[in-house]
Amino acid sequence: MGITDSILKHAGSGRPSGKHPATFWSRNRGWLLLAITGALFAVYPFVPFISDYWIDVAFFVGIYALLGLSLNIVLGEVGLFDLGHTAFYAIGAYVTAILNTTLHVPIVVLLPLSAVVAGGFAYLVMSPVIHLKGDYLCIVTIGIGEIVRLTMINNPFNLTGGPNGINGIGSPNLFGLAVNSSTQFYFYTWIIIAVVVFGLVRLQRSRVGRAWNYIREDETAAEASGVDVRSYKLLAFVLGAALAGAAGNIYASKQMSISPGSFTFMESSLLFCIVLLGGLGSIPGSILGAAIVVVFPEVFRQFASYRLLFFGLALIVMMIFRPGGIWPRKREGAGLAGLGIQGLPRNEDDLILMGKPDASILKPATTDTVRGVRLPPMTVTMDEGMLLQTHGVTLKFGGLTAVNNFDLNVRAGKITSLIGPNGAGKTTLFNMITGIYKPTSGQIDFMGRDITTLKPHTIISYGIARTFQNIRLFPSLTCIENIMSGPHCHARSGTWAAVMHTVTEVREEREIVATAAYRLNQVGLWPYRDELARNLPYGKQRYLEIARALATAPHLLILDEPSSGLNDKESEDLMVLLQSLVKEGFTLLLIEHDMQVVMGISDWIAVMDMGQKIAEGLPRDVYNNQRVIEAYLGKEDD
Amino acid sequence: MATFVEQSINGLTIGSFYALVALGYSMVYGVMKLINFAHGDLFALGSYLGYTLLIAGSSWVTMHFGLWGGMTIAMLFAFVGVGLAGLLMERVAYRPVYPTGRLPLVVSALGMSIFLENGIMAIWGSRPQAYPAAVVPSTRFSILGLPVTSLQIVILLLSFTLMLVIWFIVEKTTFGAAIRATALDRSTATLMGIDVRVVIFFIFALGPALGGIAGVMNGMYYRAISFNMGWAYGLKAFTATILGGIGNIPGAMIGGILLGLMESLFAGYVSGAWKDVFVFVILIAVLIWRPTGLLGEKTAEKV
Repeated sequence: MGITDSILKHAGSGRPSGKHPATFWSRNRGWLLLAITGALFAVYPFVPFISDYWIDVAFFVGIYALLGLSLNIVLGEVGLFDLGHTAFYAIGAYVTAILNTTLHVPIVVLLPLSAVVAGGFAYLVMSPVIHLKGDYLCIVTIGIGEIVRLTMINNPFNLTGGPNGINGIGSPNLFGLAVNSSTQFYFYTWIIIAVVVFGLVRLQRSRVGRAWNYIREDETAAEASGVDVRSYKLLAFVLGAALAGAAGNIYASKQMSISPGSFTFMESSLLFCIVLLGGLGSIPGSILGAAIVVVFPEVFRQFASYRLLFFGLALIVMMIFRPGGIWPRKREGAGLAGLGIQGLPRNEDDLILMGKPDASILKPATTDTVRGVRLPPMTVTMDEGMLLQTHGVTLKFGGLTAVNNFDLNVRAGKITSLIGPNGAGKTTLFNMITGIYKPTSGQIDFMGRDITTLKPHTIISYGIARTFQNIRLFPSLTCIENIMSGPHCHARSGTWAAVMHTVTEVREEREIVATAAYRLNQVGLWPYRDELARNLPYGKQRYLEIARALATAPHLLILDEPSSGLNDKESEDLMVLLQSLVKEGFTLLLIEHDMQVVMGISDWIAVMDMGQKIAEGLPRDVYNNQRVIEAYLGKEDD
Repeated sequence: MATFVEQSINGLTIGSFYALVALGYSMVYGVMKLINFAHGDLFALGSYLGYTLLIAGSSWVTMHFGLWGGMTIAMLFAFVGVGLAGLLMERVAYRPVYPTGRLPLVVSALGMSIFLENGIMAIWGSRPQAYPAAVVPSTRFSILGLPVTSLQIVILLLSFTLMLVIWFIVEKTTFGAAIRATALDRSTATLMGIDVRVVIFFIFALGPALGGIAGVMNGMYYRAISFNMGWAYGLKAFTATILGGIGNIPGAMIGGILLGLMESLFAGYVSGAWKDVFVFVILIAVLIWRPTGLLGEKTAEKV
């Protein structure tokens, strides 16, 4: 009986989940809260002591909520420092103002148009710079914000009206129903926000939202798990900008006049604060943050010029006492229901069984197509059952040759080990196979296809998965969410499908979670599904990483020092697991230093030193090879 | 040719303000990994402190110590005052937030910036103030046919001296090695026996204090100062820092000087209104070409 079976027996024996009798309140809490919130919003303008002034304040909370939500996509979900978000807001407002005052295009038509133009603008300007990291991206966004503002001031082609801006912008007219009064604008805005929130909640709990979070947590691990990092970052910017553009449209039509003074760096930093005050990646948090940023100065209006002084202090105090924000998104303990996937089996054992690999369609194909998408043609034949072959692969870093003319052959269905002293270039070779580095020369063939120049997220969808030497998980996501990144690369549903919950999307999501459940259970971590990955002990984190790689249903699994940091008992368990994986049909390639493990399970061993292959063969031959002994222990001097 | 010379000297002068402020930015960033958005406002504070000292008692200081004496005292006053403000800021706004991560720190810095800007406005008013002509050295003469003022020469000499001193401290002394070690890896530096608190103390006193001196020089050069001037200089200094390669001391100096020159020459030859757009376009172009700035090191992440 393998480790898999023994663990399967315990399937579903998670921690007791506090069985309180379900009351009406606890069963329908979400809906009730929603209904109460909706009712409060509907009643607010009609409360006797609420003047038009305070209805306008609520309108502006709405504008900033919309902007906060839009920045939250970029900053909260993906973790990109965007301190120039006002640029997109300004673009939306100016598109509306210019087209409405010159060509008299109706405001309602301009609402989607502003969003499209702002999104398109974001795509154009962010494409060349999206690869920049952290603070470098931050200054570029600030720069874009300033460029847009200064351009508006400089009045190119007499379009923007210079420092005074544009006056006389019309009001929205919804099929004969004009939106003019404060109350009308209040409802107009908050109904739009309700629609947006509906979409964002669905997006957040979908393949797209998770991919964003994977990037925020660890970009390299995300790419290596099959997330197309570049495209998802751009998608976040485009969607965020589109929403901000829509907010610009609403703002312009309410104010009837706009000027560059409304789109300063200060606005961008306020938006930044809104997202952080509410809590990164939290939708209710962004709305709450907007309420604070708008209402706080209003409440302190009597202190006139001191109110911003207090506001600055309040920001600091908030960050000291609630650095995670007021309403952070809580992921741990949310249960499978918190993943927002429809139609899951009630019984958790059924879910695990549903994820059995034969049943899932989310895996790479062995033929020429993956789910209808043609793979590049086989350039060489897979001779003698070699799954992976590197031909004379070389990588130079400046003057240093890290890997030199290396030929590696990995036979299908076997365990191949790559050993060698520290600094021999083993991990570098792995990084070339998985696409993180590109070889200076040489070729890498996988299943007869040349994969040398492909990107990591493409390579993984062909069926090569890996783990890292220094474990790279998504620390603030739960274990099951971590593993759900595995099947990501084989699913296809995008933004629209996630928002609409299309039939295909729902089925894909179900399969993703079932696959994840199966693999989590396989490595014995099912009871920890709801815990954050960073809270697991070291040994369990290793297993979690292996499970994540397995969830991509790879043909070839590459493990970089899987037993490092494990004690003897844990190493033995690991060997049992690895051997069971081979039985299941995986091919394994590992770097390993623990000779017990290497000699115990390898079918074939290649030895690397100073970037070169110095020996290869069956374990016992390598064990007695004179050159290998020299490489490890040094030459014996006479 | 005359325009070129004039704009170049002007650009060098502005560039040396940027460079001094950028130095402080870069030092703080190196050690704290914090974009100190309040840094520009400390520069403005320096301007106001120098102004206050120089107008106090109908320019008592200038009358007793002469133009240059008054200027020196004003700079020392701003140096000490802004240095203290920097220390206080670190203690109140950054130290308690530091352990919680980078994003809360950014918000804290933005909060500090808003606080300082509005604090200056609360004390000195929202209308621009002007350094009186009587306290500003303004002898005009020409060196090798170049028209310069004595103030410009002093600004350039002093800025370059200060930059050299900082460069020497950071690159050539043992304490500088401690700073660089802390910047690279704070916990390892602590394990090696470096008192990180002393390093942070030094950084937060000296970085802003340099900006304080730049603030006084800027006030004397342009005469007019306003409560919200800080953010524009802060932004330029941040741009200069990134242009040179963030956390890199020579990079910050070169970035600042380059920025000042580009801005002045563009304003002189093409258009004053579009000069800042030009600066940001250049910045973005440089980053596309060199993602970690001109002198920034390529940081290959170990996988």
